[in-house]
Amino acid sequence: MEDLVGRLSALDPDAGAAIKVIAYFDRLVEGRAGLEPVVRGAAVLTGCAARLVDADRGVAIRVDATGAVHPSAEPPDPAWLSAPLHPGGPPALWLERPGPAGPVEAMVLERALSAARGALARTRGPAPADDVAAVLDAAVAEPARLRAARRLGLGLAARAVALDGGRAKVLAADQPIAATRAGVGPVVPVADLPSSWAAARTALRFAAAGTEQDPGPSVVHADQLGGLAVLADAVGPGAEPVPDVQDLERARSTAPWALATLVAVATTSSLRTAAAALVVHHSTLQDRLAHVEELLGWSVRDPSGRLRLQLAIALRRLHNHH
Amino acid sequence: MTTTESDSTRVGPPPPFDPELAAALEAMPDLPTSLTADLIPALRQGTVLRDATDEELRRGGAFEVSERPVPGPHGDIPVLILKPTAATGLVGAIYYVHGGGMIMGTNRGADSTKAFDLAQELGLAVVSVDYRLAPEHPHPVPVEECYAGLVWTVEHAEELGIDPERIVIAGASAGGGLAAATTLLARDRGAPALAAQLLFCPMLDDRNESPSSRQMVGLGVWDRTANDTGWTALLGDERGGPDVSPYAAPARESDLSGLPPTYLDVGSAETFRDEVVAYASAIWAAGGNAELHVWPGGFHGFELLAPESELSRAASGPRIPWLRRVLGI
Repeated sequence: MEDLVGRLSALDPDAGAAIKVIAYFDRLVEGRAGLEPVVRGAAVLTGCAARLVDADRGVAIRVDATGAVHPSAEPPDPAWLSAPLHPGGPPALWLERPGPAGPVEAMVLERALSAARGALARTRGPAPADDVAAVLDAAVAEPARLRAARRLGLGLAARAVALDGGRAKVLAADQPIAATRAGVGPVVPVADLPSSWAAARTALRFAAAGTEQDPGPSVVHADQLGGLAVLADAVGPGAEPVPDVQDLERARSTAPWALATLVAVATTSSLRTAAAALVVHHSTLQDRLAHVEELLGWSVRDPSGRLRLQLAIALRRLHNHH
Repeated sequence: MTTTESDSTRVGPPPPFDPELAAALEAMPDLPTSLTADLIPALRQGTVLRDATDEELRRGGAFEVSERPVPGPHGDIPVLILKPTAATGLVGAIYYVHGGGMIMGTNRGADSTKAFDLAQELGLAVVSVDYRLAPEHPHPVPVEECYAGLVWTVEHAEELGIDPERIVIAGASAGGGLAAATTLLARDRGAPALAAQLLFCPMLDDRNESPSSRQMVGLGVWDRTANDTGWTALLGDERGGPDVSPYAAPARESDLSGLPPTYLDVGSAETFRDEVVAYASAIWAAGGNAELHVWPGGFHGFELLAPESELSRAASGPRIPWLRRVLGI
């Protein structure tokens, strides 16, 4: 099957194919066309079958080059030309033809996806990611947040979870929390999720990466922070670390085990438990602590020194995670 | 074209084009919406939609293709004959009258594809008539040639392998108007008998005054100006006057009784919408059998320009079942 643009360009070589592609999809958008016409446009303009898949919304449409809707059980071939609905997302629109994309194909993918985004939002409702953003945003009117919460199936109460890179999850009260670095907000009525989100983001700042550079627990619950949460506001971007934090850094750069040792001591109930957690002999731990206390200039083994250590560790994380 | 003071009926804005059709129209090379007489020679030269080759007409061996000269009142009339190769006995036939605004087109032009599709699907033969065009050959030359070709087809039915009791006349646009007029001639002259008439977006009314003709000025394909150009080519100064024959403009016929079963379709966003609806209504009012489809947002000839579109697919859907019913196959 000849493609429409090819047919048209042969008849009218002066008119640029790209302009026709743009005009084609502009008219579909203007006419509030549904998803099928958008996918059909991609197929007939390029002369090859096209498919649109949005797993989040349960959309899978395939149209062949004659314009007929023709579902296929075969998964898309990774060699086919494709593009995601959103930058960084999984491929959503395929032209069933291997790359590289010519100028017409590239334009068709771009314009068809743009049209598909609008049609998806209008006909299938917002993507779950948009609903998640809505329930967490105090600026969104409460009725809209409640509708979004219903679409997400959250029930009456839920919690926000803050993840690396500004990503968010919303979990129903009884859903488990994944084990990656996370700040976990308190369970609240769904209308109050913006506050759970704020608390979750604060909690995330106290969560360690779990690496040698940043040892410690990587999942932190906001409702277990207590008064520490107040510190989060005090440590903004550009704030000068207090000397105790600088001392921690110095200790870390002196000995690779220093920071992990101090974190273990600060977060366990006895030195014996700390030694077991670090997988070192009790006497080794004693030796290391003596060494590191010398670097810090204060004892981490008496109650006030332990509190000072805990605060220094918490402050260091706040400096590292804004 | 004149928009006279007598246009007392106020019309609303044009109905919107179907989005897919609007997109296809937008992507098309410039088609003259408002065709004027001076553009006729250029338009005949640079056919936007080309004729089918013999090879294409054979459709992979489904048809045997031949051409025959049919003697007519103004000289030979070429007819294209497609004979189904799988036929074992006499088969029904589509007698096809091509479109082109009375002024252009051929008997193997792009508009004939859908009629030939029907024939292939149902195992029918095709006789497609290449009538002489206006303005060089004004009324009644085109319709008389269409009629002469039909008479010849019936007279040579056996030789052509055609069952003369199962001949369906079909036409698109101007060809639809000529098919309707040929059907009227056949009724009024007592022969030949037609099994059915199939009128695709037919051009029926020279008066060019309907709300749809006024709504679509400057829009889509074949607007009011183009329609005036076509009818004036056929009728000259008589166009729109009191004495136009129904054999030129079938909408002029006051009695639509005694017609064979009729299939009509048209887009809601085209000049011909109202005259086609009125023609169907007049057939029903006369006690006749008609099936009418008005495809929303369709411009004139949308199936031709956007065959892949959803609306084109929908428009082709009811024809085969209708033909099966009227032909009893």
